[in-house]
Amino acid sequence: MEAFQHLMTGFAAALSPMNLMFATIGCVLGTLIGVLPGLGPAAGTALLIPITFKLEPTSAIIMLAAIYYGAMYGGTITSVLINVPGEAASVVTCLDGYEMAKQGRAGAALGIAAIGSFFGGTVATFGLVLVALPLTRFALKFGPTEYFSLLLVGLTLVMGLAGKSLAKALVMGILGLIFSFVGVDPVEGAPRFTFGVAPLMDGIRFVPVVMGFFGIGEILINAERSLTGVMAGEGKVSSFFPRRDEWRISITSILRGTGLGFFLGLIPGTNSAVASFMSYSIERKVSSHPDKFGTGVIEGVAAPETANNAYANAALIPLFTLGIPGSPTIAILMGALIMNGLTPGPLLFSQHAAFVWAVIASLYIGNIILLILNLPLVGWWAKLLKIPYNILMVFILVFCIIGAYSLNNSLFDVGMMIFCGLLGYLFKKLDFPLAPAILTLILGPLMEQSLRESLSVSQGDFTIFFTRPISLFFLILAGVIMVTSAWQAWPAAIREESKGAEV
Amino acid sequence: MSRVNYIVWGVLLAFGAFVIRESLNHKYYGSDFGPGPGFFSFWLGMLLMVLSLVQIVMIYRRPAEPLPDGFIPSREGIKRMLSIMGALTASLFLMEYLGFSLTMMGFCIFLLRRLGRQPWWLTLVLAVAASFGATYLFGLLQVMLPKGFLGFI
Repeated sequence: MEAFQHLMTGFAAALSPMNLMFATIGCVLGTLIGVLPGLGPAAGTALLIPITFKLEPTSAIIMLAAIYYGAMYGGTITSVLINVPGEAASVVTCLDGYEMAKQGRAGAALGIAAIGSFFGGTVATFGLVLVALPLTRFALKFGPTEYFSLLLVGLTLVMGLAGKSLAKALVMGILGLIFSFVGVDPVEGAPRFTFGVAPLMDGIRFVPVVMGFFGIGEILINAERSLTGVMAGEGKVSSFFPRRDEWRISITSILRGTGLGFFLGLIPGTNSAVASFMSYSIERKVSSHPDKFGTGVIEGVAAPETANNAYANAALIPLFTLGIPGSPTIAILMGALIMNGLTPGPLLFSQHAAFVWAVIASLYIGNIILLILNLPLVGWWAKLLKIPYNILMVFILVFCIIGAYSLNNSLFDVGMMIFCGLLGYLFKKLDFPLAPAILTLILGPLMEQSLRESLSVSQGDFTIFFTRPISLFFLILAGVIMVTSAWQAWPAAIREESKGAEV
Repeated sequence: MSRVNYIVWGVLLAFGAFVIRESLNHKYYGSDFGPGPGFFSFWLGMLLMVLSLVQIVMIYRRPAEPLPDGFIPSREGIKRMLSIMGALTASLFLMEYLGFSLTMMGFCIFLLRRLGRQPWWLTLVLAVAASFGATYLFGLLQVMLPKGFLGFI
């Protein structure tokens, strides 16, 4: 009940004309990012952070959150209309969405995707309201020891699930942590890894790194292949509603997608693409006509799109309540929160209650805005796809430069972004996952601080992590996750080895 | 691919050693504050070195793998990437003197002509929009961009 009272206060703030405007702008920009190929939600959200620099924290985060889930929906439009997914989570939507479009039923595909996304997103936000306060109260029992062990669980999950190689994911996590140590040591104030370079005293900021890794790195990968890809497609859309016989099947798919997306959103390290792919395969398994999947069945669109949006909203639960970002985009949101002087975690609900409930309320409003905004404008979004990539790329680069510079009015940050762009390209080329590095770059200072505070309390005794029950539980969990990930990776390595030996 | 992997893990091994060396310049263990500034980074450097060594041994034991298709970029691809990196690096050094608008104007004209192969009129329209237009737009958002020697653009 207490949570709903807070939520009502949040609605009052989120429905103010200014916040409503920023939520709408965020939804529009997010959809634009989702629609434009080559710009994923992580890069897009990072690129648009500079727009929010001068806004007050609540409006800034409302807008960034709207960009985040707007991008999730935007990817659907291109998947259905021209078989080009705007982001990874929409890849699976192409299978049946595009087939429906070819049968002249693009409107029904987009309509059910919008309805499913709205339902999944709203239910996940409702879940956030329900679990936020109990989880926060539990998390308030955490000292630095428990927090360190919890962060370790989050990191092991991210590393365990990222990429094909556990070793590469571990290396990326370590590199992110090492990058995060650059600057002044948080406990004793000594400069580390600065090599006498004055701007490094402030540390390596995450915005130039994210823009470099995801923005410039992606552009270099595309430039290596070709820049001539011109998107085409008329995007003719008629009725937005499914046929009467399709409603029943769609509703059950939407319910399953919501449950799955919500559950996966709670687990750090998963991503929306996992949610949509798993949802699609579950639908296929439970279907009475699995052979028809891929020929334009409506549940092939409804379930993954619902799961993807339920995931996007549920992923905010670990961020807001425990301070753990589960994916790169959520980590970017976390970075934006920290930039605004707000540290995500249990204290957020007690120290900045007005802010956090306004943002949660804005999630409901944003889902409604997306529903109203996107369906009538689908044709317009489709027209944007005609912009040649070689023109779009120049604008993205200009935006990257503005974003990196305006963070601190520093050309050093622009240089850092260019350097990280090159690194991002190399890492992608060599199949090193970027997500663990981004996460540890943001979590590094928090991890180090909690580790050192714990050891300071115990006067250097490491057993403190094993003698406190909650910490011990988290450590065992982290160990199990690592062993499971290594176990899963091991047979594959052996197989590869034996295969190679045969050749 | 094996040679590439040797180089990659070798570089990471060397980086791990470098991190350890740098960490040793800092206090490993503080007196009042528990671990010192060099503690965490020392062990991360160690972990990086161990992981890299294990990988190098595994590559050595594994039969040689061929490079995946398209791993080495085409000559055209390399030219395109160098154009982008060159334009970015040049703009980084020129921005302080020429200001954001003029630098970005040159940046856009170069890339739109070199990579986009757009006609001159469209190149100029887009370059003005991306440079002066962006300066104006972000000025409205109170985001200050470098002004350069002319002092107003």
